[in-house]
Amino acid sequence: MWKSLVAAIAFLAVGGSAFAASATNKDAETRTLVVTEGGGKTELALAAGETAEFCPSGCFVTMPNGDLEALTGSETIEISGGVARIK
Amino acid sequence: MFFRLLRLVLILALFVLAPPSSDAMAQAIGQGAAALIAEQMKAIQDLTAKTDDLEKKIPQEAEEDAGLVDIRLQLEDISRAALTSALAFRSRLADINNRIEVLGAPPAEGQPQEPEIVTSERGALAAEKAEINAVIASAQNLSIRISGLIDKISTMRSELFRNVLTKRYVLSDALSPEVFSDAQDEYANFYKAVSSWLTFAFKFKFQAVLAATLMALSLAAVLFVGGRRLFGRVFEADPSVEDPSYLSRLSVAFWSTLLPTLAVGVFLVSTVFFFNYYNVLRGDIGVFLNALVAVIAVVFCVNRLTNAALEPRLPNWRLIPVETGPARWLVRLTTAMAVVIGINNFLSVVNDKMGSPLSLTIARSFVATIIVGVILILMGLLKPFKATDGRWRPWPAWLRYTAFALGLFTVAAALLGYIGLAIFVSLQVVVTGTILVTAYIGFLSARAISEEGGFANTSIGRWLSVNSSYEESALDQLGLVVSVAINVMIVLVFLPLILLMWGFQPGDIQAWGYKLATGLTIGSVTISLTGILSGIVVFIIGYFLTRWFQGWLDGSVMARGKVDTGVRNSIRLAVGYAGVALAALVGVSAAGIDLSNLALVAGALSLGIGFGLQNVVSNFVSGLILLAERPFKVGDWIVAGDISGTVKKISVRATEIETFQRQSVILPNSNLINNAVGNWTHRNKLGRIDIKVGVAYGSDVKQAHAALLEIARGHPLVLKNPEPFVLFTNFGPAALEFEIRVFLADVMNGNVVQNDIRFAVLDVFADQHIEIPSAPRAVVETKKHEAWPIDDDKIEVDFAEQEQAKAEAVAEAKRLAKSGRKIRKPDPD
Repeated sequence: MWKSLVAAIAFLAVGGSAFAASATNKDAETRTLVVTEGGGKTELALAAGETAEFCPSGCFVTMPNGDLEALTGSETIEISGGVARIK
Repeated sequence: MFFRLLRLVLILALFVLAPPSSDAMAQAIGQGAAALIAEQMKAIQDLTAKTDDLEKKIPQEAEEDAGLVDIRLQLEDISRAALTSALAFRSRLADINNRIEVLGAPPAEGQPQEPEIVTSERGALAAEKAEINAVIASAQNLSIRISGLIDKISTMRSELFRNVLTKRYVLSDALSPEVFSDAQDEYANFYKAVSSWLTFAFKFKFQAVLAATLMALSLAAVLFVGGRRLFGRVFEADPSVEDPSYLSRLSVAFWSTLLPTLAVGVFLVSTVFFFNYYNVLRGDIGVFLNALVAVIAVVFCVNRLTNAALEPRLPNWRLIPVETGPARWLVRLTTAMAVVIGINNFLSVVNDKMGSPLSLTIARSFVATIIVGVILILMGLLKPFKATDGRWRPWPAWLRYTAFALGLFTVAAALLGYIGLAIFVSLQVVVTGTILVTAYIGFLSARAISEEGGFANTSIGRWLSVNSSYEESALDQLGLVVSVAINVMIVLVFLPLILLMWGFQPGDIQAWGYKLATGLTIGSVTISLTGILSGIVVFIIGYFLTRWFQGWLDGSVMARGKVDTGVRNSIRLAVGYAGVALAALVGVSAAGIDLSNLALVAGALSLGIGFGLQNVVSNFVSGLILLAERPFKVGDWIVAGDISGTVKKISVRATEIETFQRQSVILPNSNLINNAVGNWTHRNKLGRIDIKVGVAYGSDVKQAHAALLEIARGHPLVLKNPEPFVLFTNFGPAALEFEIRVFLADVMNGNVVQNDIRFAVLDVFADQHIEIPSAPRAVVETKKHEAWPIDDDKIEVDFAEQEQAKAEAVAEAKRLAKSGRKIRKPDPD
């Protein structure tokens, strides 16, 4: 019983990093997202093939094609061909 | 994802099959989108208007901390609402992007023109996207503005707090003789207000007042008497008990504080309620009454608590081991402090309502803080303990100096004119002190419960031990869990209380709670407490459901269905493991953890598992095979290598075997799968035992054979079919060797049968004069040398005796030689 509990907690700790939104760049060139979070704008440059986590609790993101989108902080964004898709 | 694909395919199909109708469809979608845009636009405009209002309110509330916190909470709500309304466009944006992708890029120069309809649709989509982007941008701007406002509020609040603490008043103005005349005026005003209300109440509302008071009194009496009835045993300290246990002392302290305080609180609150109900209150009297009620409740609670903890009358029941005299003084001083602070608070309400001059407020606070400071110093000066030699000992140094420092600080701050600071400190000392003492007593009770046998002695523990099948050790473990729960509860209840006292507003704590619940970011990792907790709770529920289902399936269904025990065991184990795995998975998803992340981790770990955990995994898989294949079941007699015994338990990693010497052997499952395992009781318990018998050369072999067969057949446990058989095995070096081979229905009876048959063989051979030879053994006598003696003194004595004996013999021989007698030779035999 305790063993299972400890295992479960360890399991949760391992997977605990899944709470922020994440963005993956599948293109061969660097793509930039502009993240507006807590009153400031930051540029999030993603190198080719890079995955980054950001925006733990709600933010606005300007996509590479100029679209502006709101995120709650649990989405996964995939950039391919300069177009970002939210899953 | 699937639906999005489906939609894409549908749109494509429509586009290919019916180009004319796509225009109409796009229009319909366009109208829906226009409505959505208008709706969200309006929502964001509303939110902006609200934000404008709140921004205007900020300067008005600049002096009021609670007001600022309230504004901040509302702003946070608005920010979340703006985000939500921006989220509404997500699916539409995705649709538009998909559609644009389907339409393809506009043709480059030199390429053939595309149809008009495509160009126009692309234009319409781009225009709509631009509109949506504009709305989202306004939501974004709003959220940026709100975070700026929230930052501003935080700075204002810290400024406000600093101001209260550092503002210095000129005492010479406040403490002039004018104050006395002011105070007289104010007292007169207050008296007038109260007396006019009293006359009004008695003249016009006498019955209502009477009814309200009586109702409140009866309610309190019901609560008090009922509480006494219910908790009478634990409520009162029994002076005849010599040495009450700590736990009973604690429960007496707890209940004797809680019940009277509750009764008084109910009385006061219901009085105010009924007065309000009958419209007895008028003007500011209601505010005064509320303040008075709060003061009385706090003073009463503090007094009850100190009385319960220190019990000046019953030294046996004291929670803190101070002497009787100091205990009495401590109760008095604490109560006095609570009274002073309470009166000060009440007067501040009165001052507020009467609009009295500032000097009066300062003078009142000055007096109150000086008194509290002096009381603190007096408490520090108390010598509450008695040493063994009868001298009085003071408090421990850290407590004493803390009290001195706090008291001196309050007095000095008041004398220097920092009245705000002094009031803050004295209020904190009383309230935080009370909370800390209560929390400390709670911690002590948790510790007392967690002690061995502590929980079993509580009323719940006694009830459990009577009404349930819990053993003492289980109760002890339960006590441990309870004590941990009490500790957690104390932290959860008292930490916010203390934070509240230290100038944090309920809104702050609420915001923290919200943050803690939704996710706490540390670096790039976000931890959500509620997520993890709900995951654990779901897992535990799943675990117990599995156990219950397992028990039901095993005990009710399969036992009734007369299912073979091996199958039963296998099914039970498989159900258990599957259920726990399922519960873990559900728990993980309830915790909001993305399993795809874990897949990455698992992928990285698999290499490590391949090398490091090879044995464990191989045992695990072997265990699963054992469960499916069932080469043996619990209770079987198996032989695996050198180990022979009964199977006790089959787990997924290892199998427990109990040898006949009652040694438990834990055998890894891979051994049982990879090596040969003998099972004596696999399909049935039938087994053969062999007994060797030797018969002397020269005996009647036929007669011996017949006798042996007779014995084997005659035993009641020996099976008739297959028939017992006596084999003439060998012409041995010392005997003619026979072997009795008999089959038994239960091979576990082998030893008994062997014994019986051997005894019978001896008896029958003795009767029929058949000899069982035994190989003769030569008896070889060995000469043992005398051990080397150790005792030196004894050696000397022996040596001296021998010398003496020799000397005597020589002397005797001489004497005989002189006498002329010859020594004879021994006779020849």
